[in-house]
Amino acid sequence: MKKIILPILIGAIGVTFAIADSDKESNIYAKKTLTKQNAKLEPLYKKECSECHMAYQPEFLPKRSWKKMMATLSDHFGTDATIDKEDSKKILKYLSSNAADSKRVYGDFRKFLKSIPKDKTVMKISEIPYFKKEHREIPKKFIAQKEVKSFSNCKACHQKADSGDYSERDINIPNYGRWDD
Amino acid sequence: MKKIILVTVVPIFISAAPIDGFLQQLEAQAKKENLNFSGFSAKRGEQIFTSKHIGKRGKKISCTSCHTGDLKATGENIFTGKKIKPLSPKANPKRLQNLKKVKKWLRRNFKDVYKREGTAQEKGDVLLYILKN
Repeated sequence: MKKIILPILIGAIGVTFAIADSDKESNIYAKKTLTKQNAKLEPLYKKECSECHMAYQPEFLPKRSWKKMMATLSDHFGTDATIDKEDSKKILKYLSSNAADSKRVYGDFRKFLKSIPKDKTVMKISEIPYFKKEHREIPKKFIAQKEVKSFSNCKACHQKADSGDYSERDINIPNYGRWDD
Repeated sequence: MKKIILVTVVPIFISAAPIDGFLQQLEAQAKKENLNFSGFSAKRGEQIFTSKHIGKRGKKISCTSCHTGDLKATGENIFTGKKIKPLSPKANPKRLQNLKKVKKWLRRNFKDVYKREGTAQEKGDVLLYILKN
């Protein structure tokens, strides 16, 4: 009798652990997308910045990068992207308070931050070492094609990028399809 | 006499669209900058809108590169791939309603294509071209 109970018990313990684990993961996942500081300023950020490109999650970059970004809008990667002074202040407030090093960030956002050298002020998310590592196997032609254009166009392949979800299961590369590592 | 003028002038300003007020401002400025100025021209506006220049990032572009040659059509930012709703208020009634937005984009887009801000006359010409098409 004992011999039978033991495997059942071990099995039950295993199941319990598995449940606890998946719970933990989904919590982390929820936190990573939901906790926003100064959330009332988010619509302004999204409206102004997504007139030209996706409003990247502020958690992608550290505070020093956002500060420099908002101070150099007159030459924003070769484009005049200047905005109203008051709006600019509010947007910087939103970006810095949600920056990767301003609060606890999870998952990929954390890996992005950890990979950035402390003495560097990165201006392009696509130049962050962890970003480069994650995209190193993507053939250049998939990025250069007209449906994508450049790495700045997250949504072209990451279908849920707008909600901050960059999971592999939601990748769909135009004219190629799903991407499995 | 004063009373009559007041009564007739005020309603015109109230009923006018915000863009008309802005055009009047531009007109006043254009007169100061150009003594021969005799009103905005949609034809000159079209020329400004469709002619190509070495613009941002050294690329030869015109306004139509992103907005297309049809003001009622949806365009696309050739640098980022972002879709741009039609410029013509006939196709997109929200267009030219928000002056803050109008001023911001005139400033930015002149710099994109011409690498300088437009003059009051140029801005008025382009706006008239957009309004008429």
